[in-house]
Amino acid sequence: MSLLQGLKVVVLADRLVDFGGAMLARLGADVVLAGETEMTPSRRAAWHHGMTPSKAPLAELLAEADVLLEDRRSQDWPDLKGIALPETLIHVVATGYPEDLEPRPATDLTLMAQSGLMHVIGTAEAPPLRLPGEQAYALTGIQVATAALMGLRARRLTGKGQRIPLSALQSATLANYREAVMYEWTGRIGRRVGNRLVRGSSGVRQVWPCSDGFVTWSMIDNPGMMRALVRVMVEQDAAGELAEVDWGAILVADTDQDVIDRWQGIVGAFFAQHDRATLAGWSLEHGWGLSAITKLSEVPESPQMKARGIFPDGRLPTGPLFAVHPAKGGAA
Amino acid sequence: MSGALDGLKIADFSWVGAGPRATKDLADNGALVVKIESAKRLDLGRMSPPFARGERKNHDASAFFAQTNTSKKSVTINLSDPRGIEVAKRLVAWADVVVENFGPGYMERIGLSWEVLQEVKPDIILASVSVAGKTGPMAGFRGYGNAAAAMSGAADLTGWPGSEPHMPPLAYGDVVAPMFLTVAILSALEHRDRTGQGCHVDVSQIEAMVHVAGDLFAEMPADKPANHDPLIAPHGVYPVAGEDKWIAIACEAPGSDAALAKELGIDELTDAAIASATSSRDGEALAEALCDAGVAAAMVLDGKGVSESLDLKAGPHFVTTDHPVLGPAHMPAPPYQLPETPWQVGPAPCLGQHNEEIFVETLGMAPAELAALKEEGVLA
Repeated sequence: MSLLQGLKVVVLADRLVDFGGAMLARLGADVVLAGETEMTPSRRAAWHHGMTPSKAPLAELLAEADVLLEDRRSQDWPDLKGIALPETLIHVVATGYPEDLEPRPATDLTLMAQSGLMHVIGTAEAPPLRLPGEQAYALTGIQVATAALMGLRARRLTGKGQRIPLSALQSATLANYREAVMYEWTGRIGRRVGNRLVRGSSGVRQVWPCSDGFVTWSMIDNPGMMRALVRVMVEQDAAGELAEVDWGAILVADTDQDVIDRWQGIVGAFFAQHDRATLAGWSLEHGWGLSAITKLSEVPESPQMKARGIFPDGRLPTGPLFAVHPAKGGAA
Repeated sequence: MSGALDGLKIADFSWVGAGPRATKDLADNGALVVKIESAKRLDLGRMSPPFARGERKNHDASAFFAQTNTSKKSVTINLSDPRGIEVAKRLVAWADVVVENFGPGYMERIGLSWEVLQEVKPDIILASVSVAGKTGPMAGFRGYGNAAAAMSGAADLTGWPGSEPHMPPLAYGDVVAPMFLTVAILSALEHRDRTGQGCHVDVSQIEAMVHVAGDLFAEMPADKPANHDPLIAPHGVYPVAGEDKWIAIACEAPGSDAALAKELGIDELTDAAIASATSSRDGEALAEALCDAGVAAAMVLDGKGVSESLDLKAGPHFVTTDHPVLGPAHMPAPPYQLPETPWQVGPAPCLGQHNEEIFVETLGMAPAELAALKEEGVLA
């Protein structure tokens, strides 16, 4: 189902608007890539999929367009100067920093650094880490698509387009729902704690090796979940002292770290004896809240990704952004 | 001036984070978002820290909930009571869009399946967000954003080269997926306005995290890239003066590597040499000097830094709302400006704050019926 069929979009791309243009294209819009800055072929394949490059005069393209996505991360677009933009055009202008500020260089790394996310990723012994991939650019792209669609809704109300300035710094920071609010209300500053999930004075593991990779699971205060795990461990003769714990009568968060570490040792030995598929299957059946950690290279082959058509060529995630189930009697 | 979504009506059954962050986008832009919740099955977001004055038992005191639910109205309906479902159906008949992020099968069990919603209102749009989506072999999977990190390849690629997978203390899937949900809802509205037909948009947290990692799938690195970039060098995070203070530097522009070397007074631009040269420098001053020289550079901000950032204040990224329990409180705003149809971020609602307004004034319920349903625990 092409939700945006008939929508005409022109893109001038310099990393901030690229994914936004690709999103609109994947939703059925006719998206023309009228300008782009240098990028690697693999990144072009990822971020420009669905857009049609064009060398037609910009004025000609814009005369028919509903939306212009203009990227002002590192440069102006000289061809745009002097063109009278249609009154109905929705013109999204993306900059690294809020538009009223003096422009300065911004990249995915420096934007992510200022989002507050990097400060809590990694371990205390090493520098802050970014999330893998160009997440600040991707987050900005999503907001670019959102702003364009907001502009279209507004045009239905007013009959007019509008110029919509958009900040990449704010787009990246929106993904940080925790650190600023925690500081403002508690004075606490989040730290890098590796794979530990810290609750009060104690911490529990989140990542566990198993026989063919890793799984994620945490010993948290969920008695039903703990009983479900221990039940299977008893069946497998691997529960040790965990079989004697009354999970409804204790709080893991209030338990001494030494005891937690001892219990985690038993769980760790059990996980190490089994593979991801077995553990994930038990989790699904018994409600452990455990997930197998999938290697990046395995994701395109996952039955779920195949069923939902996310990797049409088996390599790049250029399938639907989300599934659309038509209404009764509607076109598929 | 009204917002871009003035006149749009949303029946919002979603809770915690993945659904409410999308309906916040809609509410801030002028949609009338009615959040359907219940004291009998409290939104876990209302129990999530931090709390004003530490009042964790006060279900209106969570700042986490407040920043996720700005500008909405709250009504209480007991969805385990069939009479509550009938009231919910009245809201569905009123709405343009229904939003939910319940576990698999919940909407069906309470009698609000996609088929039923269409019978109530034929052109309704249903917007769902879940870990794996509503179809495929994992359609029944229960979990949160961390599961999406595990199954999307994100955990595998996060961390330092050679290290085990890393799960940062943030559920990235719980923020990326609702952003996709906002796009899905707005796109479905365009489609409905063009064709007259509703649809069910079905967002998966795993898929959203896969889509934002398109560059990684294209490059398929042999190991975790950490802070490095295949095209840009130097590209890293380096220590500056002060405890746990760091600067991010990316020499992308032509000549910026030479500018970095000059500013640091070094000849060789290895990570070790750069770190040695930056470690005694004032980070803010160095970032400013490097930017002036054409080098992308910025301090790595912590929560305090984000809260006090002048760059973010210029947005503004946070706006102050006046909440009846929290008082004046900073809430995140949309990252774009719509000058002709500006957004307006209002306070999050207290539990059931708008029962009378929505049930009586909007749905036309008689005050006596409202009182009776409240008394009988149906609207609770």
